Amino acid sequence: MGLAKKIQSLLVANRGEIALRVIRACGELGIKSIALYSDEDARSIHVKRADKAYYLGPPSPSESYLNIDKIIEIATNVGADAIHPGYGFLSENENFPELCSKNGIIFIGPKKKAMEITGDKMKCKAVMKKADIPFVPGSDGIINDMEEAIDIAAIAGYPVLLKSAFGGGGRGIRLANDEKQLRQEFEMAAAESKAAFGKAALYVEKYLQRIRHIEYQLVRDSHGQGRHLFERECSIQRRHQKLIEMSPSPVLDHETRNRIGEIAVRAAEAVDYLNAGTAEFLRDEQGNFYFIEINSRLQVEHPVTELVTGIDLVKLQISIAQGEAIPFKQDDLSLRGCAIECRINAEDPFFGFTPSLGTVPTCTIPYGPGIRVDTYLYPGCSVSGYYDSLVAKLIAWGKDFEESRVRTKNALNEFTVEGINTTIPLFKTIMDEDNFIKGELSTDYLERFSILDRMNRDAVESSKRDLIPAISAILLRSEFVKRSHLYQQNISSKQRTGGQGKE
Amino acid sequence: MDFEIGGTKEIANGELVRSLGGGLILVKINGKEYQIKMLKSGSDYFEFILDDSFYSAKIIRSGSSEVRLSINGRTHTVKQHSKLTEILEKSLSLTAKIGGENMLVSQIPGRVVNILAAARAEVKKGDSLVVLESMKMQVAVKAHKDGIIKELRVKKGATVSRNDIIAIIE
Repeated sequence: MGLAKKIQSLLVANRGEIALRVIRACGELGIKSIALYSDEDARSIHVKRADKAYYLGPPSPSESYLNIDKIIEIATNVGADAIHPGYGFLSENENFPELCSKNGIIFIGPKKKAMEITGDKMKCKAVMKKADIPFVPGSDGIINDMEEAIDIAAIAGYPVLLKSAFGGGGRGIRLANDEKQLRQEFEMAAAESKAAFGKAALYVEKYLQRIRHIEYQLVRDSHGQGRHLFERECSIQRRHQKLIEMSPSPVLDHETRNRIGEIAVRAAEAVDYLNAGTAEFLRDEQGNFYFIEINSRLQVEHPVTELVTGIDLVKLQISIAQGEAIPFKQDDLSLRGCAIECRINAEDPFFGFTPSLGTVPTCTIPYGPGIRVDTYLYPGCSVSGYYDSLVAKLIAWGKDFEESRVRTKNALNEFTVEGINTTIPLFKTIMDEDNFIKGELSTDYLERFSILDRMNRDAVESSKRDLIPAISAILLRSEFVKRSHLYQQNISSKQRTGGQGKE
Repeated sequence: MDFEIGGTKEIANGELVRSLGGGLILVKINGKEYQIKMLKSGSDYFEFILDDSFYSAKIIRSGSSEVRLSINGRTHTVKQHSKLTEILEKSLSLTAKIGGENMLVSQIPGRVVNILAAARAEVKKGDSLVVLESMKMQVAVKAHKDGIIKELRVKKGATVSRNDIIAIIE
């Protein structure tokens, strides 16, 4: 194997913080970075930081960052050696790697075949079962009718989840507590799946309660070497979307870490995976691990792994894409300290997480020992309603969980974003919450411990603490307004009297 | 001026006493005086030192009854009342619930400057019965329920204290 083409220019087919992340890696490697932008992003930071930036089209994703033909056209015209897809957008589009290679461009990610398998939950399950990878009890393939779903649910035991084979990121998942509910949900899910993907491809699996979401960072090179870079626990979620990720998981011991890590590497081998990916598992209360899927891209939460392993995943991705072998063995790796990531979204946690957008006149990005912030925010930037609500990732490293938790908390207190609402208040509450501190995590953490109520109470307490300065500010403002009003009157009266007004 | 911050349901009183010169300003909040050292001021942004702590305040939105602002990046909503009427109304409806069904009680101390209703008159909830003067403001005491005024307990010119009975409505 060895196409061994040295990448000299790299086009980033993405926007926001991840585009900036890749551009920075290019800078370190002396690679010319090429950015793309929609009308909405002409002033975005990735445009400002890249060596070159090319216009893609109107704001809507389908006309810009999802416009695969246009992106390939630009890459070909400007002579880009490689394309990095980031996450989201085209990153898991199985036609993208093919189109790239047809045009002589290196795609930084897995091959089409692996993407096809990992992108189709049922195909993936079939392959993984052969490789002896443990799964959650449920259907082995797509269910053809409701009666079949009911039979399988009876064997697996209620409650069960009804999932779309083409869903992802929590979309298309429905819960049924009994047969009656399953009948109702099945019809709706089938209709939904048909509308979104053209076919009613559903499957059923046992719903595990009080589960943890634990995933493994994987890398595999074109020489067939696979490595895992340990786990990330991403149990704190809202509507199946991750909010906080950390490494290590508070419940993994050394033996389990390695045992599950080996399974993850085996899963990557089973699909002949290339480049960086993530094997996701669920862990039940008894400590059983069940494989769910491989995400065939660089994950949002990759910095957590970078901080505890000291490995730059984006640079590693580029070297693997160039045909180089992974320069370390599994035993060379160690997990050092602890890292926590908070996903700061432009959403109002006090009003049902409604999206918040607009200009950010000023912001204060925290820094200091152990603090890393991956963001596209800068004073004067704008947050668009066309794209993902993630505006920043705050990642804090510490020698242990406690140090990284306290660093996160302090950094959150320093973090201010004006003009939009963010999820920062929610993370402040969580960092001080007892169950979080004890590592008592599960995917229903928010509901189980009434975290939103707690956040509301914290907000009232914070208001009480700020009572004196807040009233002072209002008094100062009315005084300021009054004085400038008087000043204006003075000026105009002076003007009227030709500057001879008496003082 | 009266203020209520966030959802605290606690009313605070605040006023700007005077400028002391040299960028120092004296304010009085809940009866206590604070010296503010101004560092920066604009129409919607202020930096100051208060009680030996630094604060940056940004006025996000300002209306006549509500101000949204951030203090060191923490966002709060402050309700402001130039009149006590609103508080009075709020408290009156509370009193009616708590007990003394028929008793209309004054929520503020003041002097009776006008009487608008007579005994045995039929009144509707919200009708003004008596006008009090308090803190140089005239505040109407309004009927807390529909009914007949059984008794008016106050006379023009009289001074009432908080919780004094104004009238009994049956």
